[in-house]
Amino acid sequence: MIAAHRLTKTYGPKTAVDGISFTVEPGRVTGFLGPNGAGKSTTMRMVLGLDRPTSGSVTVNGRRYADFPAPLREVGALLEARALHPGRSARDHLRWLAASNGIPRTRVDEVLELVGLTAVADQRVGRFSLGMGQRLGIAAALIGDPPVVVLDEPVNGLDPEGIRWVRTLARDLAAEGRTVFVSSHLMSEMALTADHLVVIGRGRVLADCSTPDFIAEHAASHVRVRSPQHDAVATVLREHGLDVAAHGAELRVQGLDVAGVGELVGRAGLLLHELTLVRSSLEDAFMTLTADSVEYAATPAGAAR
Amino acid sequence: MTVVGTHAWTRQETPARTSGATTLRAEWIKFWTVRSTTWSVAAMFVLGAGLTALVCATSAGWLASSEADEPVGAFITWGMMFAQVTAIVLGTLAVTSEYGTGMIRATLSATPRRGEVLAAKAAVLTGTLFVAGVLTALAGYLAGNWFLDREGIGLALTDDGVLRALVGSGLYMAGLGLLAAAVGLLVRHTAAALSIVLGLVFVVGNMTMLLPGAWGEWTTKLMPGNAGARIATPESFNPLLLDPWAGFAVFAAEVAVVLAVAAAAFSRRDA
Repeated sequence: MIAAHRLTKTYGPKTAVDGISFTVEPGRVTGFLGPNGAGKSTTMRMVLGLDRPTSGSVTVNGRRYADFPAPLREVGALLEARALHPGRSARDHLRWLAASNGIPRTRVDEVLELVGLTAVADQRVGRFSLGMGQRLGIAAALIGDPPVVVLDEPVNGLDPEGIRWVRTLARDLAAEGRTVFVSSHLMSEMALTADHLVVIGRGRVLADCSTPDFIAEHAASHVRVRSPQHDAVATVLREHGLDVAAHGAELRVQGLDVAGVGELVGRAGLLLHELTLVRSSLEDAFMTLTADSVEYAATPAGAAR
Repeated sequence: MTVVGTHAWTRQETPARTSGATTLRAEWIKFWTVRSTTWSVAAMFVLGAGLTALVCATSAGWLASSEADEPVGAFITWGMMFAQVTAIVLGTLAVTSEYGTGMIRATLSATPRRGEVLAAKAAVLTGTLFVAGVLTALAGYLAGNWFLDREGIGLALTDDGVLRALVGSGLYMAGLGLLAAAVGLLVRHTAAALSIVLGLVFVVGNMTMLLPGAWGEWTTKLMPGNAGARIATPESFNPLLLDPWAGFAVFAAEVAVVLAVAAAAFSRRDA
């Protein structure tokens, strides 16, 4: 379990993480979601004792990271894919990590096999693709067979097969009872991987709930109606207490499903050209939720001053 | 389903804690699994031993003649003046390569006790440089002395200062490497650290000789490259320098101060 309590990190006048509290429970995948610059990586570095919190605290299984006698056996972390010396081979990179925590050398071959890098283990990692580097980073995270796994943006740079592999791996790790904390700025990816979500924006927690709850609460849906008798249809639906908004030639109806809307219009003897259920994507929900907390927003060309 | 691990070995086979020994082992592996280490050590040997042999070969006749106005002892470890560069490069890279690549975060998440990391790094670096420095100086002495012997002006190992210069070469290389590593830890940038240390030892150290009066003389004596290098040669071209051991003590103290500042910064700041 990872527990953050009022964790804060400021860099000069800039607050990167603003008093966030959350817990990451074992046995499930917890997604750590937020736009770029929201404070995800800073938080993860504080979990690992690399950055010192300005105030507040974060513990892993009740202890500060620095207090673990052999931390790689307690927490495995993928922080940046390229935290590697390009001139060192994959095997040598894992060898020194293993040696640092008294982990037997046989484990190096095990994790190489696990991430599928055995064939290229003796190549210098400077030649690795982004995806291979990411796999090596994951091998490094698992070298100590740790009960807690922290992965910062693990699918960055991976091909679709690699993305699926990381997703399955994260779920398998959680199924083994481990604590799995995965950050991402991609809502759609997290929806497939995570059981629980902690959403942050501008250093604050915006949501902390299960993934289904998040979807139910934030992914809105409406029924799209097109009719040559636009105004009459709108009047009928409003009379039945539905929320109807006109957007050009279409009506967006909330409060009733497709069948119900169709029946109401039919009973009134009106014509329909289109009747569709529109579900706003999770990505949209996430965008809406974090809209105010995006650090570097692109201004649409037309709106530029 | 992927089987990630059994935990079995975690509980049974090994002591579940890190120590100075495991950290040292990790730093040793790191140090020797990048090519820059092998290249730097090889370059030290080629420059240090090779140039000493070369200068002795070409100067032996002149040194044996009545025209000679330089001490023979200043030639027998002559190449170490150039080998210094490789010690500085090696010391710098041992630290800055970790910052350049982001590896430092992997290092510190494996061993959060930063003092231990620094001590292990320093031990591996100075140990290697000491051995490499002594062997290089010894090889240079053996090769160079062969030419000097032919002219009848060879130096025996037991001659005044010869053995001290060979051991001193190792000590000076180790000290320079440590100085470079400390500066690297402070500035966390390869080019910046190299410029500072190379500039300090080779440029500033010589420019202070231009300063006037006793003040300039003492500044020159105390510059790290001037104070430390004297121990690596039986006799010096420059008679103004401090005595070998006194000079080395000054040099060691300077290295210790820079290292202490670097260690304080390292233990406090974010990785």
